[in-house]
Amino acid sequence: MAKASAKQVLFDPIFSNNPIALQILGICSALAVTTSLNVTLVMCIALTSVTALSNLFISVVRNQIPSSIRMIVQMVIIASLVIVVDQVLKAYAYSISKQLSVFVGLIITNCIVMGRAEAFAMQNPPHMSFLDGIGNGLGYSFILICVATVRELLGAGSLFGIEILPVVNAGGWYQPNGLLLLPPSAFFIIGLIIWGLRSWKTDQVEAPEFKMAPQTRAMKEAM
Amino acid sequence: MGVRAFLDKIEHNFEKGGKHEKWYALYEAVDTFFYRPGSVTKTTAHVRDGLDLKRMMITVWLCTFPVIFFGMYNIGYQANSIYAGNADLLAAQDNWRIALISLFAGFSPDSLWDNLIHGAAYFLPVYAVTFLVGGFWEVVFASVRKHEVNEGFFVTSILFALIVPPSIPLWQVALGISFGVVIGKEVFGGTGKNFLNPALTGRAFLFFAYPAQMSGDAVWTSVDGFAGATALSMAASGGIDQVVAQGITWWDAFYGNIQGSMGEVSTLAIFIGGAVLLMTKIANWRIVAGVMIGMVATSLLFNAIGSDTNPMFSVPWYWHLVVGGFAFGMIFMATDPVSASMTNTGKWMFGALIGLMVILIRVVNPAFPEGMMLAILFANLFAPLIDHFVVQANIKRRLARNVQ
Amino acid sequence: MSSKKESVLRTLTVALLVCLVCSVVVSAAAVALKPVQVTNQLQDKQRNILQIAGLYKEGVSVQDQFKQITPRLVDLRTGEFSDARDPLTFDQQKASKDPATSERLDPEADIASIRRQSYYSTVYVVEDEQGEIETLILPIHGYGLWSTLYGFMALESDLKTVVGLGFYQHAETPGLGGEVDNPNWKKQWTGKVVYDESGDVDISVIKGGVDSNSPNAEHQVDALAGATLTSRGVENLVRFWLGQDGFGEFLDHLRAGEA
Repeated sequence: MAKASAKQVLFDPIFSNNPIALQILGICSALAVTTSLNVTLVMCIALTSVTALSNLFISVVRNQIPSSIRMIVQMVIIASLVIVVDQVLKAYAYSISKQLSVFVGLIITNCIVMGRAEAFAMQNPPHMSFLDGIGNGLGYSFILICVATVRELLGAGSLFGIEILPVVNAGGWYQPNGLLLLPPSAFFIIGLIIWGLRSWKTDQVEAPEFKMAPQTRAMKEAM
Repeated sequence: MGVRAFLDKIEHNFEKGGKHEKWYALYEAVDTFFYRPGSVTKTTAHVRDGLDLKRMMITVWLCTFPVIFFGMYNIGYQANSIYAGNADLLAAQDNWRIALISLFAGFSPDSLWDNLIHGAAYFLPVYAVTFLVGGFWEVVFASVRKHEVNEGFFVTSILFALIVPPSIPLWQVALGISFGVVIGKEVFGGTGKNFLNPALTGRAFLFFAYPAQMSGDAVWTSVDGFAGATALSMAASGGIDQVVAQGITWWDAFYGNIQGSMGEVSTLAIFIGGAVLLMTKIANWRIVAGVMIGMVATSLLFNAIGSDTNPMFSVPWYWHLVVGGFAFGMIFMATDPVSASMTNTGKWMFGALIGLMVILIRVVNPAFPEGMMLAILFANLFAPLIDHFVVQANIKRRLARNVQ
Repeated sequence: MSSKKESVLRTLTVALLVCLVCSVVVSAAAVALKPVQVTNQLQDKQRNILQIAGLYKEGVSVQDQFKQITPRLVDLRTGEFSDARDPLTFDQQKASKDPATSERLDPEADIASIRRQSYYSTVYVVEDEQGEIETLILPIHGYGLWSTLYGFMALESDLKTVVGLGFYQHAETPGLGGEVDNPNWKKQWTGKVVYDESGDVDISVIKGGVDSNSPNAEHQVDALAGATLTSRGVENLVRFWLGQDGFGEFLDHLRAGEA
């Protein structure tokens, strides 16, 4: 594998190698925190900073970590960072951290963070690892912000809490779509994004697990 | 043969290289709607049978006719009965449908004609929107994927229109059927590859997205500003005693003289259609029997347990049969050959699972008085798993026999 | 790589160092940010109370606004003010789970489905210049459809006219039961009278809309559309907290001027 350039490391995870859309990682938080853009944005910033910093620190000490306790050391570093981020949010963005509740803490278990630490930071120098963390954070953020835009706009008629479509209950005309306020709707939206992304970048389409056999000889001949 | 000749004349435009090549799917759909498909089996096994997919779907479609006509009559009857007792309410109605009805008919609950026209003014627009919007998606996908438009949509569209409340806004109909066709069916590869019933998927979407228009008390009659509970939600709050206290007898519920979704009210009309489906073996009797057994057994169980606080525990099975969407779901939805189990043993289990779930949801769940839609979708999810175990058990049994 | 890196001593050293550095960072952050967090929590609760009492003004610091409100501890068993705990730090949610500070409710009486009733509760009082109660804010909670709703109810000086009602914590269905947060719905509580002439609790949440001409209209509130069980839950919890197992006795004492 040729060494990737800084630009590739930073921007590939947005479309070509998106952690959510291609690797299908970090879905739980994508379902839970995307009902409003404010909350989503804070979550994205939190995850991006945790991924970037954990990549940076792990990469700095990568040559010192004995392989037998590799995972645990990564975990400790990630967990510490997450707690710090959680504390900062509680201090400076209280109402949003209340809405995020456990999901900031659950960044620890987010596969994207651990995955990047293990797959990238352990083999690459600190500055590249840092960029890789930012890039993957951006990829995650890109999907989450798309999902949250749809969910907040159509589910509550607003963006960033500012009313865009006046809803019926407040005397307007827009009938908000309640399904979009429920977590399963994020599945549908992510599914549609993946569909769109793979129609655009067809190399992301997975090979079928099995081939459907033609039912008749004639059809076989025709194929 | 005017039509045939015309179709043949324009056919070359739609074939590969023709100027309307993109629209082949649409041409094919029209052609085979009027005439029998041109393709024949090309291999050695040559079974002749009048029943192809198209004929099967058309039969199901025809079998919904008793339900449609009774449904329309009942919408009108319910609305006109309310108007008859409250003339001010009629004067206060301000929508295009009332204006349309007054062109053709009056508002007397005793007149068959008035009631039918009234119901038609509510049902037909819903059906038209369903058909046009859903059909649009079918053609789009058929054209992009280069296959033929599937007749399954005939059935999906009519079933979808029959399971929504009469007062539903038309734009919601359009959204619901779009979701049902695209997410419920086409993303998985189209007819035959969907694991959920598309009509129910569309309804489930509306149910969760716009609960105010899909549940509650205000939606079941076409009358604006009138709230009338369905028999099922009356039972949920006060047991069958309360239903009877409202002047609804079991026979009312059986004939369909109650409020509800457009097609689900008359158990009798559903059974007429259902009898044809069962006799022609389009609907599988094992599934229907499974649903019945599951439902009866579960409701008897709840009757036996009893509860002081939840009146639904004491509702007998013959009431469960006639209220809500149970009968309609059992005959028309559970028997959908694509999303049900494929194996015979599996069909029994699939049906019983629906019967069990519908009563569980109706009785125990505090939020939803009706459980048929969710029960069937739930069982749809389990159908492949049920089949898997049935096949595995079969393989095991045969292996064991071989060893001896 | 070198086997030196994998030695036991080295493994232990690295583990120890990583843990040390991380724990220093984490505890430093926690300690340094603690005061800000505590203020935040307090302000959030105070803002809720102010909003429900209809006193909240945008742009003025919550702390200053809250100065007009005095928290007082009430002993729910005797229905009198008490000094047994510090009203500011008393956590009723926690206390009602602890057998030492709460009692099991009789299922018959427990219409709000809260199971255990704390012995104490913190109420908030707004007094006028003469020291008379102007607004009384009571904490209330009870079960809706999916979750326990926590909120406040503010009463006028007559102790039966509602100033406001609101919930700050719940997990009801968005769009249905979640509409308890809808300002339009909350608004109609203002001015409702929760006790009848003879002093019995009389407030109900009714389906299908309140007829404003009916003599009972001041004791009735519209139910939430499509959310029968949440509406019933709200009715029950309001009735419970105004009744004798809730603040009923305390309110009686206040009226008699002897709390």
